[in-house]
Amino acid sequence: MPRILIVEDDDHIRTALRLMFEGEGFTIDDAPSGEVGVALFSRMAADVVIIDVMLPGMTGFQTCQTIRTTSDVPIVIVSARDETADVVLGLESGADDYVTKPFVPEELLARVKAHLRRRPDKSARAFKLGSLQVIPDEGIVRHDNGDELHLTSTEFRLLIDLASMDGKVLSREDLLERVWGYDYFGDSRLVDVHIRRLRMKIEPDAGNPTYLVTVRGAGYKLVL
Amino acid sequence: MRRRSLRLRLLVNFGLGSLLLSSLFASLTYFGVQHVLVVNQQQTDLRQSYVNAALIRSTLYTSPPQLGNLLNSIERATDSNVLVHTHHQWLSKSNGAATADVAKSIITLVGKGKITQQTLNVQGHLIFVVGVPIPAVETQVFEVFQLQRLEHTLRILLSVLAFGALLTSLIGMGGGLWVTRRALRPLEEVSAAAALIADGELTTRLTVAKADEEVQKLTDSFNTMVNRLVERIERDARFASNVSHELRSPLTTLTTTTSVLQQHRSELSPAGQESLDLLTADLSIFRSLVEDLLEMARSDAGATTHVIETVSAVELVRQSARSAASRIRVAVPPIEVASDVGHPLVSVDRRRFERVMTNLITNAQRYASGVTAVRIALSDEHLVINVDDAGPGVAPDEHEAIFQRFFRGRAAHDRGLARGTGLGLSLVREHVEAFGGTITTHSSPEGGARFQIILPLSQGGEE
Repeated sequence: MPRILIVEDDDHIRTALRLMFEGEGFTIDDAPSGEVGVALFSRMAADVVIIDVMLPGMTGFQTCQTIRTTSDVPIVIVSARDETADVVLGLESGADDYVTKPFVPEELLARVKAHLRRRPDKSARAFKLGSLQVIPDEGIVRHDNGDELHLTSTEFRLLIDLASMDGKVLSREDLLERVWGYDYFGDSRLVDVHIRRLRMKIEPDAGNPTYLVTVRGAGYKLVL
Repeated sequence: MRRRSLRLRLLVNFGLGSLLLSSLFASLTYFGVQHVLVVNQQQTDLRQSYVNAALIRSTLYTSPPQLGNLLNSIERATDSNVLVHTHHQWLSKSNGAATADVAKSIITLVGKGKITQQTLNVQGHLIFVVGVPIPAVETQVFEVFQLQRLEHTLRILLSVLAFGALLTSLIGMGGGLWVTRRALRPLEEVSAAAALIADGELTTRLTVAKADEEVQKLTDSFNTMVNRLVERIERDARFASNVSHELRSPLTTLTTTTSVLQQHRSELSPAGQESLDLLTADLSIFRSLVEDLLEMARSDAGATTHVIETVSAVELVRQSARSAASRIRVAVPPIEVASDVGHPLVSVDRRRFERVMTNLITNAQRYASGVTAVRIALSDEHLVINVDDAGPGVAPDEHEAIFQRFFRGRAAHDRGLARGTGLGLSLVREHVEAFGGTITTHSSPEGGARFQIILPLSQGGEE
């Protein structure tokens, strides 16, 4: 039974979401604040976390960052604003996805299910990226000096999918479908922010990427 | 009636006015001076003629053979030609004289013993002829004075006066120009500021430096008006934004609980199920209204919130159409890309572009039976995106009006059930224009409506 943690300060929305997810057969933990949410998560790890951005006290972004320090769990941010700056801020704080209020409940449900369906692709072969060793079956990226690089599951998947193309370009649309498992919805900003985050981790100079390059007007490719 | 430019009119009036005045003055001066000069000259000439006639008479008495020499010496001394006439024939004349210069009528008059003077125009030159009778020897003396010097003086005077008149008119026009410019400058500033404000530069105000009292008043009331206007615009925008924000949370609860109810649909009675369906349908309309209102409030907040990126045009249209279709749960419309399109780039805010596609597809869904095709082509360095449907089309008189906020066309009234918000297409236009493009409506090849977006191509790099 997949377990979902919902961090939302609005009682009505929290209850409605709980009812909907329970109706779909999920087990729900809910928290009215970020502090309670973090405490709940540390006691009982969830499979997906849904966090509202506007929380009293600890904000949704801070809650997301705190959970991210200990876990790769898929995090979906629920925001009342969908300006790019807010979306980017949410994703930069470590979220894998976001929806804006008022959302279509079925869309949130579909996204949560897509995140649950995703499993790390253990069959992909290991490869080297400069001084980095990417080992899919262990789910780790190791630096030549032995340090392990921490990637979230979404970032890891993005890297593996791009590597599997042997240098060919993947459009944002392709990546949304392959990495997030979204048929239709989804926003290409999701891809852009994750690419940027990934660059910060694997590129020697994220401002001038040499591995993960943008192909103007087409998408992204990984140069091995 | 629209009148010509005030500046032009004032300039012409000042110019013509000063030309008229100076011409009048110049003419009066000219004719006055001419009269005085001619009269003076003639009096001098007349006096000289008497003296010369006396000399000739005494010569005729004492030594007639010396007459020719006398006449020539007079001519040399006074630059006038002298002729002596007696018994109907010319007795003698000075070297430069021509008998033709003396008219028959004057000979007759002088012959009757009258002193006669006459101004004649001979071959374009004025001559002054004085005839003096010497009755004792039945002789008439004629003296012909050339008025060339006087004419020359008058010509110079005329040129000077004409030049003066022209100069005065030019100065008048210059003065007019200066006065109009000075008087119209505040008006121009107001008009420029108003244009800026109309373009959305709401921080524009008139600045005053050493203004006259009238201008100061105009400036003050203009600025006051703009301040009020801005306050009002901001209040309206805040209102729409606040209301929509406040609606988000209850709306989220509503849509979520409705979907919980849908999960339990089978447990409801037929009446309960029907009510639930109505609730679901109207909630979806309500949700799109709130989204449109929020979008409108954001659009009013100005371009600062736009995040413009340079992206592949075809990919953009394809993906926007797909996510838009999924958002409103309709089949993804076919995307037809003309063979010569290639890989053009456009600069847009992706989220807003998706909104454009969502609203166009929703519109086609509502008034036709959905989009038949999204067609992409290139034309003249621009990307042309046609969103076509096979519905009844847009009435020609509503081609522009449908892009206005809250406009509901006849088609909207005809279809009572498919309620729209009246904001969708106006947002489409605002967004497309924010990308530097245009949107117009035409007829589609399928006989329905065609919404044509034209976007400028971008040369810039991505990110």
